[in-house]
This record gives sequence, C-alpha cells and structure tokens, in this order.
Amino acid sequence: MVFEKVAELIAEKIDVDVSEIKEDTKFEDLSIDSLDITEIAMSIEDEFDIEFEASADTKTVGDLVAAVEAKIG
Amino acid sequence: MINSPICEAVGIKYPIFQGGMAWIADGKLAAAVSNAGGLGIISAMNADSDYLREQIKIAKSATDKPFGVNIMLQSPHSEEVAKVVAEEKVPVVTTGAGSPSKFMEMWIEAGIKVIPVIASVSMAKKMEKCGATAVVAEGQESGGHIGELTTMAIVPQVVDAVNIPVIAAGGIGDGRGVAAAFMLGASGVQLGTRFLVAKECGVHQNYKDAVIKASDISTATTGRRFGGNTCRGIKNAFTRNFIKEEYAPEATSETVANLGVGALRKAAVEGDVKNGSVLAGQISGLITKEQTAEEIITEIFTQAEELLGGASKWVK
Repeated sequence: MVFEKVAELIAEKIDVDVSEIKEDTKFEDLSIDSLDITEIAMSIEDEFDIEFEASADTKTVGDLVAAVEAKIG
Repeated sequence: MINSPICEAVGIKYPIFQGGMAWIADGKLAAAVSNAGGLGIISAMNADSDYLREQIKIAKSATDKPFGVNIMLQSPHSEEVAKVVAEEKVPVVTTGAGSPSKFMEMWIEAGIKVIPVIASVSMAKKMEKCGATAVVAEGQESGGHIGELTTMAIVPQVVDAVNIPVIAAGGIGDGRGVAAAFMLGASGVQLGTRFLVAKECGVHQNYKDAVIKASDISTATTGRRFGGNTCRGIKNAFTRNFIKEEYAPEATSETVANLGVGALRKAAVEGDVKNGSVLAGQISGLITKEQTAEEIITEIFTQAEELLGGASKWVK
C-alpha cells in the first residue's frame, strides 16, 4: 500500500509510467537528485499526514518506502 | 540606510552575511565582518570540536557583536560541532549541504537563530516548518557547493513560498547585486567571494591573487555528472583533471567522490592554486583589490542605497 502510493507520487513528479518504478529502482537511474527527493518527501508528508524527512542514505525507492513505513508504524 | 527584518532578527547594522567558506572563514575574519556591521560566519567545515571551540574563542575575544557558525552537514564531525554551537550559545547558525532538521530543536532551545542555506523551494518550506529564523537562498553563481537554480530564479520563488526573511546568495559582488537582490524580494545578502579578499581574511595570498586575476569566465563546475556534490571554482589544472576523470567512461560516483579530497586545503592553506581547488564564485571577475571588511561593506551599501534610492527613474 505504501509502495503503491509512493510510486504514484514519484511517477507523477517525474512524468513516467508508474510500472517503471520498482522497489529496487535507484533514484540515480531515474535522474532524481537529493533536491527532488526533498520535494517528494514533502508530498509524502501531505499524503500520509506524517512528519517526514528522507535521509542522505535514501538510494532506492525501497529505502524511501521503508522509511515511510517506519514512520507510520 | 537600508534596514530590513533580518537586521533586527540577528542584531546587525547592515543586512549582509559573510559566507561560511571552509578552510577560509575563521574566527578572525568573522569578527572583522561583525565589527564592520555585518554578520561574520565561522566555517566549522570538516574539523572537529576543538578547532571550532578555538575559532569561537578567537571571534568572541575580537568582537562583542553577533556572529555565526556554518555547519557543513556532510562533515564526519557534524554531530559534535552541532553540540558545540549549542553549548557556546553562538548567536546564529547557518547550515549547508543537507537538512539540519535533526539539530534544529537543540539549537532553537539554546536560543540560537538557525538560518539554513537552501537550494530549492521545498527545502525552504521544510526549514520554515522546523523553526528557521530565515533561509539563505543560494544560486549556482556561488563558489563552493552549489545547486542547479540561479539566484535570479531561486530568490523570488523562495520569497513567494515562505513567510520568513530570505537572504540572497550567489553572484552578488557589489552594491548593484545587493540592490537587485532586494528587488527580488530578499531581506539580506550573503557574500563569500568578496570577503575572500578581505585584508582580515587569512586565506593564502596565492588564492586571493587568483580571485583578483580571475575574469568573468574563469570559473567552472566539477561534480555535475553524478550530482550531489557540484562545486564551483576557478579553472586550473585541478578542475581540468577533475572534469577529465569525471567524464571518463569508466567513472562512477564513487571514483569521482575521491577526486576532491584535500584539494581545498591545498589551495587555501598551502597556496597551491594549480593543483588545489580554488573555490570562488562567478563574480570573481568583479573583484580587483584587497580591502578591509569595513571598506567592503561600506562601499557595497553606499552603492546599493544610491541605486535603490534612484529606482523610480525607471518608472515614468
């Protein structure tokens, strides 16, 4: 559920088909940099109604999903 | 007299910050800028807490005016130096290269005004939410670590997005740049390169001479290919080699990450401006001489006030 929503937010942000986004997709391969990740994290905060910040170790979509899941509990 | 909300917020006469340049911005330079009415800033760079405590001591002994410390969040010592600024109750902390949110509560509790350097609107909004006093919106005309947006583009967009004062940085070298920044909605400016050639700045003379000699097209960026670590500096053997290695087919983000290690120290401390990294901004070409911090600030604001006072000449 979290993955689907996060993938949707990313797909919308960079305008790619959501099917291209997998758990092991690296942000580097999507040309998503740390500033983009901050922006995505802001949409995640609104979507899940949480206080959230992506760490510098966020390399893959799966990393981001895991961080969100940890916040939701 | 230009007065803005940031003057009152941090207790300075002129709305100008001196950039926290690693290996360059020490306690002596910070005190000189603060004594001249701006906000001097010590760079905590990659050093440990002992170095920072010493520089804070130097600044405190040379000025009774407010000054700041810049914390580079990628530093291996960021946790310990973050605690030092809280213990020493440094009036202002600026941050670079990341998000300082995990330290914000501790700093704000210690009465510190936190002013993060940001390179995007979303980061600015995030910092406002975390309790930042202001943000420094830095364009890629700056020397050192940079983002993608230019000052002309980022400043008004950040100004529209947040309700705290915005300090413009990047590409500002004189009163014209300051006047332009205020027109874009900024409440203050941060200058690095111009203060690099301040008489009170202890950077190696060769480094100052390289900046004074530089023209409009003298700087280049390294580290753009893999992102995250883009740096602007004066073109030399170091940048040429870096760019060659960076764009080699076999290069990876890991091999590139090692290319700059120790290079800034080599230029700033040892004076090797050929093989070291001479970080400086695009306004280097505007800089023609060494001046005291006070001369720099007075000259800049005299010019800015004259320009802003005459702004109505464009409207008929």
